[in-house]
Amino acid sequence: MNKLLLVVERDIRLFFQYKFLIIIRAIWFVSQIALFGLIASRMVYVQGIDYFRYYVAGLSVMTLYSAAVFIGFDIYEEAEHGVFEYLLSLPVSRRQLVLGRSIGGGLRSFIYVGPLIALSLYVIGSLNPLGFLIALFALFLFSFGVSGMSITIAVMIKSSDRFDILMGVLDALIVRLSTAMYPLAVVQAANPLYGGVASFNPVTFATDLFRWGAGVTLLDNPLLPLLGIVAFFSLFTLVGVILYEQHIEGGGWQ
Amino acid sequence: MKGILHILEHDFRSFFRYKWWLVGLISMNLADLFIMAIVYNYMISSEVKITSYFDFFAPGLAVTGLFASAFMIGREINMERRREVHHYMLSLPMTRLELAIGRVLSGGLRGMLYMSPLLLTCFIFLGFPTVWQLLLILAVLFLLATGISGLSIAIAVSTSSLEKFITARGLVYYTLFFCSSVFYPLSLIQQLGSEGKFPAPLVTLAEINPLSNASDMIRSFLMPDYTSFSLISIVNVFIFSVVFTLGAAFAYMKIIERT
Repeated sequence: MNKLLLVVERDIRLFFQYKFLIIIRAIWFVSQIALFGLIASRMVYVQGIDYFRYYVAGLSVMTLYSAAVFIGFDIYEEAEHGVFEYLLSLPVSRRQLVLGRSIGGGLRSFIYVGPLIALSLYVIGSLNPLGFLIALFALFLFSFGVSGMSITIAVMIKSSDRFDILMGVLDALIVRLSTAMYPLAVVQAANPLYGGVASFNPVTFATDLFRWGAGVTLLDNPLLPLLGIVAFFSLFTLVGVILYEQHIEGGGWQ
Repeated sequence: MKGILHILEHDFRSFFRYKWWLVGLISMNLADLFIMAIVYNYMISSEVKITSYFDFFAPGLAVTGLFASAFMIGREINMERRREVHHYMLSLPMTRLELAIGRVLSGGLRGMLYMSPLLLTCFIFLGFPTVWQLLLILAVLFLLATGISGLSIAIAVSTSSLEKFITARGLVYYTLFFCSSVFYPLSLIQQLGSEGKFPAPLVTLAEINPLSNASDMIRSFLMPDYTSFSLISIVNVFIFSVVFTLGAAFAYMKIIERT
């Protein structure tokens, strides 16, 4: 357990070394609220929704997603600089190493996004206390799941170029084909295929729960998106751990 | 002149080394157009003078693509400076001016090359302009691309580390993208400004922003009901281009010799 915590601590410390990246993400977040969110809310009309508050809530989940994905880039950085071999030589079992990385990846993104979520709650100006606690728990699982997904893809591909493009494309699709920026009914009206994908997208589950917790929108049955998040978390944490364990040795990184 | 051509060739070869990055960028651009813009079509308020957000956004997307790809030259120059490759560049048998102009021009031309499929997509969906309009669009976009390339080079040579360059780039990106008419009509920004909900300097920035001017110029040809052609927009882009092309060439010549 102690060794697992050491792996988690290392990943958290590593993340906070990227000061400029953290600053840039924070600038992006604030400019999205103060510029894009404010102006776009004048351009858009959706019955029964204050689009500004709706967008700000979605933005928090988008930021959490992009911070959690970053663990995959760290893995390439380590492979490129030969740190992988050092990690393998540590008196930590493979399973502890893998699990620690997944937890560390999720936890650090959550620590980073915490103040931004607080800012977005201030801007939104409302809260459903019990719902928010459930949403927070779901966001925890979501960030672990995204980290697990990033680790899974990184160790399967073992090529930083391909990983870079795949994560770019995935980010473009997973965020846009979700309810992060627009309600599901509108996505379905625009294109049933887009609506179908958005209905089963973990980003949709996370944003819907967060908006419900923040008192932005209502949710008929919060249990369904929560179960979706649990399934996403379990799948990628489990698969990530197994694949990382299998691929960690033998090199082959490009 | 021959020296400039060699620099162009060198920088184009480097550009194609980032093929994965380019494929990623173009897929994100297309996802913005074919997913986000299509969904936004269904949310546009009747009070806004836009009938189709897809049509409105397509010219803006071509301009954002041009911006992102023309800006890439700055990252390469920053990397050359950090890895001290600029000593090799300075040892090449060409004048400093040829080297500097070559770098600015190649950044702009690479932006034009990347933007071409996005502009073509825009024409396919919105209709083709006349030959004179097309020539004017290409000329203005080329001026914009060289200006952006100059801006990124000026930032690259003034920042000592990649992190500082990325931070400065982010600030420029977000300010110029979001304070422009790329994503929304300029009238909305002006309206918010007149209501006191948006700072006046940012409203002015949006009005003179070359990204706004270039997007609105393309819209004036392809969507005449939305906006009319304005000569001032071309003058704005021209001034932006001259200032940053000359400024960057001068900064590049002076700063890389110093370090």
